[in-house]
Amino acid sequence: MPATDYQGSSVPFASLGRSILSIRRDQVHAMDGHHDSAQEHELEAFQRRVADLFHDLAGGGGGGGDELMSLAWLRKLLDTFLVCQEEFRVILFNHRGAASRAPLDRMIAEFFDRGVKALDVCNAVRDGIEQVRQWQKHLEIVLRALAPAPAPALGEGQLRRAKKALTDLAILMLDEKDAASALSHRNRSFGRSGRDAHRSSPSASAGAGAGHFRSLSWSVSRSWSAARQLQAIGTNLAAPRSHEIVATGGLAVSVYTMSSVLLFVMWALVAAIPCQDRGLQTHFSIPRSFVWAPPILSLHERILEESKRKDRKNSTGLLREIHQIEKWAHQLSDLTDNLQLPMPDEKEMEVRQGVDELALVCHAMKEGLEPLERQVREVFHRIVRSRTEGLDSMSHNAE
Amino acid sequence: MAENGEERLINAVLQIAKALGRTDTMTEDIIKQFSDFDGRLSLDKLAVRRDPGGGGGGGGGGGGEDSVPFERTLRALDRQISHFMGLNRLIWSDSDDADKFLEAVDDLLDTIRDLDAHPAANKQLLASADELLQRCVLRLEDEFRSLIERPDAAAPPPPRGPRAYDSEESEGEEEEEEADEGEGQIPIARPVTDYDIVIDALPPGSVSDLHEIAARMVAAGFGRDCSEAYVLARRGFVEESMARLGLRPRTAEEVQAAPWAALEDEISRWIRAFQMVFRILIPSERRLCDRVFDGLAPFGDLAFAGACRAPALQLLSFADGVAAASRAPDRLFRVVDMYEVVRDLLPGLDPLFADHYSAALRAEVATVCKALGSSIRGIFMELENLIRRDPARAAVPGGGLHPITPFVSDSLFTGGFNTATHARAMDKPADASRGAGAGPAAPVDPDRPTSSLAVHIAWIMDVLERNLEAKSKIYPDPSLSCVFLLNNGRYIIQKVKDSELEVLLGDEWMRRMMARVRRWGGEYQRATWGKVVAVLHLGSAGATAATAKSMKERLRIFNNYFEEICREQSGWVAADEQVRAELRVSVLEMVLPPYRSFVGRLKGMPDAGRDKYVKYTPDDVEARINRLFEGTVKK
Repeated sequence: MPATDYQGSSVPFASLGRSILSIRRDQVHAMDGHHDSAQEHELEAFQRRVADLFHDLAGGGGGGGDELMSLAWLRKLLDTFLVCQEEFRVILFNHRGAASRAPLDRMIAEFFDRGVKALDVCNAVRDGIEQVRQWQKHLEIVLRALAPAPAPALGEGQLRRAKKALTDLAILMLDEKDAASALSHRNRSFGRSGRDAHRSSPSASAGAGAGHFRSLSWSVSRSWSAARQLQAIGTNLAAPRSHEIVATGGLAVSVYTMSSVLLFVMWALVAAIPCQDRGLQTHFSIPRSFVWAPPILSLHERILEESKRKDRKNSTGLLREIHQIEKWAHQLSDLTDNLQLPMPDEKEMEVRQGVDELALVCHAMKEGLEPLERQVREVFHRIVRSRTEGLDSMSHNAE
Repeated sequence: MAENGEERLINAVLQIAKALGRTDTMTEDIIKQFSDFDGRLSLDKLAVRRDPGGGGGGGGGGGGEDSVPFERTLRALDRQISHFMGLNRLIWSDSDDADKFLEAVDDLLDTIRDLDAHPAANKQLLASADELLQRCVLRLEDEFRSLIERPDAAAPPPPRGPRAYDSEESEGEEEEEEADEGEGQIPIARPVTDYDIVIDALPPGSVSDLHEIAARMVAAGFGRDCSEAYVLARRGFVEESMARLGLRPRTAEEVQAAPWAALEDEISRWIRAFQMVFRILIPSERRLCDRVFDGLAPFGDLAFAGACRAPALQLLSFADGVAAASRAPDRLFRVVDMYEVVRDLLPGLDPLFADHYSAALRAEVATVCKALGSSIRGIFMELENLIRRDPARAAVPGGGLHPITPFVSDSLFTGGFNTATHARAMDKPADASRGAGAGPAAPVDPDRPTSSLAVHIAWIMDVLERNLEAKSKIYPDPSLSCVFLLNNGRYIIQKVKDSELEVLLGDEWMRRMMARVRRWGGEYQRATWGKVVAVLHLGSAGATAATAKSMKERLRIFNNYFEEICREQSGWVAADEQVRAELRVSVLEMVLPPYRSFVGRLKGMPDAGRDKYVKYTPDDVEARINRLFEGTVKK
């Protein structure tokens, strides 16, 4: 997999040796001679763990089949989040006394606020997954239309059906704002365009059509913006200063780590899945001295690059499978648009290739979308749980 | 018979055409001539008639010869079908047309099946048959969609007046019971109390038309297309119906930040909407799907899930938001309401969401139910924290109710608190949600009902009681401390008795609580009236020894005590009339008999100055005691 840009950062990662925590710890030691070494160990292990997990995601683990931004990769990303969240929860629990005192209480409260904001991203992403599922169903129709059996060669009828399914798919995949205008051009049936005499009013029918194809996002309001939400999650997220680290016995670093992980994971989800007002401008200013910073920054950079690629600029989501559908469905549309039957062999080959590729994508989505959705829900519930537990233990200890 | 005659005529025509025509094309042309000449000799009738004859006559020659009848059939079907395709209106706007079109499609499907089965079928022929079929199906799909979207566009023309199934015209139609009583009657939205109704969103005629089309599409291998067409056409209606229930989308963040009053209203709306959606709208959709796709599994399941899943999930996400939001005790009721609605619904969902495609939705409802349940547990925890942290600041004047008492008991024991609900909500082990472990170590007596709800509530009551005892220490006067505890204790008992929770807390709890309250009452009597009665007590042995003088002295002391107590305690507070009456009666019982006998004795003394010393007659004493505890409860 193309991870060249990652290599650059993984080398310093390997040789970094001393994490920011251990550097800062020297200061802590200098200031108060006694410090609980078990706690240090625990916090240090958390940093390592986060770094390892993201290193793995960035391609360092060498796991196959989970290319960047593929469904499989996203699922791995969410697993990573859940693991980090769980370990962070344990840390908070173990230090619930400290967590209810300033300045850590404020930091944790901020983290929980970010969590609440992330809940809405989860909801929006779930809607987006539902939308992708809709595409998958149309993709299945395309595939069925172009399936080799029972006719040995593609017939006129099959072609017609495939074209219609491809058009439907293309319209579904358009942005909402483009969909309405595209619909007026949609060749919904044959020979009847322009003379929709049986319809009471042509404009009403176009409106009804637009309704069919609009993306569904009821769980967030129309004015909601994923881009703004991400920005809100990232607001005031800054690496803790050394006096804060000292004052919190290093816990400030853990909170910052988890906040960054949360922001990155939400950002990546929004990047991958169609969402209302996607936007990837969120700024990541993580000091590279954190062990986990290089892999996260590298991933961020690569995803951003992907979003700037010409063929992906106008994509509704950077999910690899979406790209594949766009690419191959487009190709198939082109192929079938100006096709004379019987098809020349090489055209036939091209169509078959497109169908095979789409079949792979379709399979991947069939296998992956449902679990991904479940994971997104799991992330939602875990954020809620960690928040309520955290608030509870803080209030108990505040007595 | 006429029909018989027609048949003979047609056969004759066919014979003539066959005899005259040396080639197929010629025969076709001749037939066409005939059909133009006489309406009875329509092309399709002739075509249908010709096929079996032609097939039999062919007698199994070579492949080329064999395909001739197929070719003819196809050509005839093509003509027939093209006629319908050319229609500038819905085919289904005329039921005869619709029947004929379906018949043609069936013939085409049969022909294709035969062609497929035929060993030497002409590939070219199969391809063109297939092509024809695809055209039919596309048209079918269009008709299918139109029938769902505008059922009135189909035959027969609708009678005047609004119709229950017309999604355009009837506001919130799911609020109306089907207007069976008569066509043309204006449906009126009534407040729904019985959710056990199913709406026919489409007229039965449309439903059976849709089923006919769906059956053909599935037979032609277009099942998925059909269910997708259904989804696209139907989801708009489902969403529209939900939108009319008056909920606006709220993000989790908004729910967190919303003022409670606004959220409370939204919750009431949500509960109604939830009932509507899950008890009426979705079951109705399920029934519609099941009818349209009757016998065409799994396409019905696919269509149903596609139409309902997303809107239903979005409705649920509000409950998620509430479950994740603040757990202030005043939210308890509303969250419980939500919990109840969702929980009660769960068993009913099984038949609706039994299939593979909707299973996730069923799971999601269960998850939301769990989240609301744990929110309720959280609220209890919050309540406990609140009591613990409520400091004893200023004493409530007159030993009245401390605000915390009604706050806690009203939260717990008033309103539609239904025992079963709580038993279930609290079924989860309390410790699981207790994270920090600072919670109670569930003091379960072997005699007590051990449901976690009872334990929870008993625990909250214990916490409250301890808190109140701490607060009672603020009063400098121990009598007033007792009255304070008595009042608050009695309030709690009354609330428990008024609720269904008495059973849950158990007789033992109630007995102990009553005993405590009695003890406080006794302590009050002793502390306030003990010395008063002691003054009157002459002792049986020394009765005769008592001199008038000493008795007058005692009476003077009594009068002082009594006046002081009356002055002070008339402003004290009793939790309610009953408490007031009981307090007075107990004081009367304690004071009046000794006072009567004391006064009696005094009066019986020869040298007593009679009434001069007796400032208060026993009746006066009684009257004054009956004016104690006149203070009013301020809640």
